[in-house]
Amino acid sequence: MSVTTSVPVDHRRDEPPEHLTRADRVGLLRHMLLMRAVEERAMTLYRQGKVPGSFYDGHGQEAVSVGPAWAMAAADRLCVLHRDLGAHLVRGVQPAAILAQYMGRAAGVTRGRDGNVHFGDHRTGCVGMVSMLPDMMLVATGLAMAFKLRGQQRCALTWFGDGSTSRGDFHEALNWAGVQRLPVVFVLENNQWAYSTPTRLQFAVDPVERAAVYGFPGVVVDGNDVEAMFEAMRIARRRAVAGEGPTLIEAMTMRMHGHAAHDDQRYVPADQLAAWRERDPIDRQAARVAALGVDVDTLRAEVTAQVDEAAREALASPMPDPADATDGVFATEEVAMGDGAAPWSGWSR
Amino acid sequence: MSTLTYLQAISDGLRTEMRDDDRVFVMGQDVGAFGGAFKVTDGFLDEFGADRVMDTPLAESGIVGTAVGAAVAGLRPVCEMQFADFVACGFDQLVNVAGKMHYRQGLSVNITVRLPSGGGFSGGPFHSQNPEAWFMHAPGLKVVAPSTPEDAKGLLTTAIRDPNPVVFCEHKNLYRRVKGEVPAGEHATPFTARVAREGDDLVVIAYGAMVHTALEATEDLDGARVMVLDLRSLVPLDEEAILAAVHRCSKVVVVDEANQTCAAGAQVAALIAQRAFEDLDGPVVRVATPDVPIPFSPPLEQAVLPDVERVREACRELLAY
Amino acid sequence: MSSSRTETGVVDVVMPQLGVSVVEGTVVEWRKAVGDRVEADEIVVEVSTDKIDTEIPAPAAGVVSELLVGAGETVAVGMPLARIEAGDALTDDGVPAEGQPPASGGDDAGAEATGNGAGRRLSPVVQRIAADHAIDLSEVEGTGRDGRIRKQDVLAHVETAQAPLHTESPFRPESVPKPESAPVGGTLSRMRRTIGEHMKRSLETAATCTTWIEVDMSRVERERAALGLTALPLVARATIDALREHPQLNAWLEDERHTAHDDVHLGIAVSLDEDGLIVPVVRDAHDLSPEGLGRRIRDLARRARAGELTADEVRGATFTLTNPGQYGALMATPVISQPQVAILDSEAIIKRPVVVAGPDGEDAIAIRPMCVLGLSWDHRALDGVLAARFLSAVRRRLEGGPS
Repeated sequence: MSVTTSVPVDHRRDEPPEHLTRADRVGLLRHMLLMRAVEERAMTLYRQGKVPGSFYDGHGQEAVSVGPAWAMAAADRLCVLHRDLGAHLVRGVQPAAILAQYMGRAAGVTRGRDGNVHFGDHRTGCVGMVSMLPDMMLVATGLAMAFKLRGQQRCALTWFGDGSTSRGDFHEALNWAGVQRLPVVFVLENNQWAYSTPTRLQFAVDPVERAAVYGFPGVVVDGNDVEAMFEAMRIARRRAVAGEGPTLIEAMTMRMHGHAAHDDQRYVPADQLAAWRERDPIDRQAARVAALGVDVDTLRAEVTAQVDEAAREALASPMPDPADATDGVFATEEVAMGDGAAPWSGWSR
Repeated sequence: MSTLTYLQAISDGLRTEMRDDDRVFVMGQDVGAFGGAFKVTDGFLDEFGADRVMDTPLAESGIVGTAVGAAVAGLRPVCEMQFADFVACGFDQLVNVAGKMHYRQGLSVNITVRLPSGGGFSGGPFHSQNPEAWFMHAPGLKVVAPSTPEDAKGLLTTAIRDPNPVVFCEHKNLYRRVKGEVPAGEHATPFTARVAREGDDLVVIAYGAMVHTALEATEDLDGARVMVLDLRSLVPLDEEAILAAVHRCSKVVVVDEANQTCAAGAQVAALIAQRAFEDLDGPVVRVATPDVPIPFSPPLEQAVLPDVERVREACRELLAY
Repeated sequence: MSSSRTETGVVDVVMPQLGVSVVEGTVVEWRKAVGDRVEADEIVVEVSTDKIDTEIPAPAAGVVSELLVGAGETVAVGMPLARIEAGDALTDDGVPAEGQPPASGGDDAGAEATGNGAGRRLSPVVQRIAADHAIDLSEVEGTGRDGRIRKQDVLAHVETAQAPLHTESPFRPESVPKPESAPVGGTLSRMRRTIGEHMKRSLETAATCTTWIEVDMSRVERERAALGLTALPLVARATIDALREHPQLNAWLEDERHTAHDDVHLGIAVSLDEDGLIVPVVRDAHDLSPEGLGRRIRDLARRARAGELTADEVRGATFTLTNPGQYGALMATPVISQPQVAILDSEAIIKRPVVVAGPDGEDAIAIRPMCVLGLSWDHRALDGVLAARFLSAVRRRLEGGPS
């Protein structure tokens, strides 16, 4: 079986993408702006003592979640990771619910049962993550398995990081998906660091190469180009629902903030950070969209106002009732997942 | 009604549910073409096809994890671990993903994980375990352990229908050794205890294969009327039935085939000490396998697993107290 | 009304008022004797009223100085039953009595206090049974290890012991030789007398008629197996729904005043075997699912048999269900519980051949689990047509199908 590996899929800036309308391109920017604004506000709240526990963000990685999520159909299912807040926003989770979630409020997506980005609003077709990474790769594989068993034209998508490719579940998932030719897309967010462990201490071979040995293509994509990420996902999804099996997309990006808010990442070389700052995904998409004549400043102001309002709402919402702490360990009836928002114009074509 | 072995009853229950509900499917190693390591799914591939009787790669974490995905997609997977001991390889997915999902995310995970458990046939340290206590301790998982063919079918049916993850401990040493009347067609048993024999001088509380050991040990014990309570369900634990039995009998022997420390019987004993103190006419006695890996050679294995004589002696001593 | 608390001096233990309509009570059994030390809130006596038996706690700590009423005697509410010389309770060996159980075990001091000799351990259940029956454990022979008193030893003692009427009286009842062929019998217990009076009064007051209907219980059998319940909660739920449709049956008739209720407080008859029967009430039963009803009924029945019901739990029913069905009887003519206007009885579920519509629309014979529901109703409050309509509504809900 022939596979492509290590082939960068890169969009040249001067070629307009075939499958994105102007509204799509603006939408991609808007959602990245929203992700950044929500996370920056949450960081402020964290420093003000309003966010218990720890705080994680995906600053500088916004394209990795927004791009692929934009290509997903409403009935597709997503296993979203902690630096992929953009995916939740694309699927329709409201910023106020997210900020409430960080602050452990009753109106948070998990109603205070789990913290930070350990959430998935199942009504939007997202499954919440666990801390053991990359456990969710197997869950996504199982979702894809169900779609195939049912003969449905649906796809599962899961994100995971460079660090978690060292764990057994990564291999079990890739192997299983390859053997059964399942409609699942694996997005490896290679942000160069797993906490303080650089990739050179994590693997001897770039994990994208491993797709081949499990029987399917692996492609490397510029993780900070949201339109490239979209396109890679669009192609991978088409493969999946056509019954051609999984794809591993390695999104090359950089973790711009520490592992969590408590980590100042002094172990990361300053010049590495400087180089990647030049490739900020929001700046790049803003430049494209501005070239189309869109007023990016107004867009930014709208997003800021939206997040301000969301913060007000979240701050005013109550903490959970301690009397509820032991409720809901067991389900009394089956809960069906719902479909999420699918804003890509391609669905109406 | 028909007379089936414990193993046939499990097959019957599984087959009946699969015929009734096309969301139910089986996944595990060697379950399809081979019919299962113990032949529980013999003939299933022909009837239901490869999509519903899935031969998986050798990957317990994969089996449990993908089952979670399939369940949240609306299917009802019944996973088979080839031996209960191997569930350790899927522990993380079961405890952290499946068990905690509903509490955190409000999403139900309807999976059933069948564990062929127990020893007594020189299976050695990796084929003889009773690991239920690990999962009793994990919030969000239900755990059941039938001792009779009728209950094997009935509890499996209820487990498959339960929207929560259920760990189904089927005792492999009972597969062909125990026969009984099993209702035909649909048969569901609630997750409660069952009085295997009435009595009031002493109660032996047990589950799985130990129920049969307890019944044999106390059949003819110096004229004493010994109750045997078959727990059947470990999570949820039928506290009402346990406390009622202690209230009636006042003397209790709790039997575990599992390793003693923190086995199910330890939880039962703690419950009794706290909530039935005033009903006790003697200490709560436990008979359990000591904390050793189950040995392979027959004299060693027999020395550690609780047998009829050990249970009988414990009862005799307590009766005389 | 409850007894007063004072620190010192003589304190009365009085007959309390247990329920609004209660005017008197009977002493069933003294738990303390004259000269016994007693702690505040410790049980001193068991009394019985029309409705239930209750234990009376001591109003203060001290020593029982007088018992004024004997076992079996009836006094009016408010009358003193016993007197206590109140004061700090200290044991002879100077150990403060706070938190000490009546008969402590496991240490010498406790063993001394109960007079059992040093080192004889008393298990919790032995202590409890001894306390419940006011048994002096020094009189009990132990057959356990090292002469330990076992549960069966103290139970055997309960059966054979004869308690004197007054501890300071030297009178002991003579053991009368049994006549060769004397008939077995005795006077009716208080509970039996109360039940009898109530039943007689009901039949004399109400114009009691009974109407029956046969119900196919196939659907009920399926549902109850799926829910893990008996048929009773499902019958209860169907009855409640039918009562909401026909509230004239969910009513009280007191002299000429007829009050139909919206809320259903369902009385469930519970048999206490030879001791009689009692009817605990499931309040706001209309709010409960069948599972909820099942749980509530189980709990009330258990507590009824254990004698743990409170006075409020046996009054206020708007309708009663009685269900002795397990014994296989076909039908019954239940007696209405005043001041309600109806009572529903369900007997055994018996498989019988019945005529059903066959697959082609023709009559066919099928085997179905059938049950006869009997509604006794008061003709002063309603007529037979309504009774029949109500029964039909219950049946419709039990059998399923279009409503």
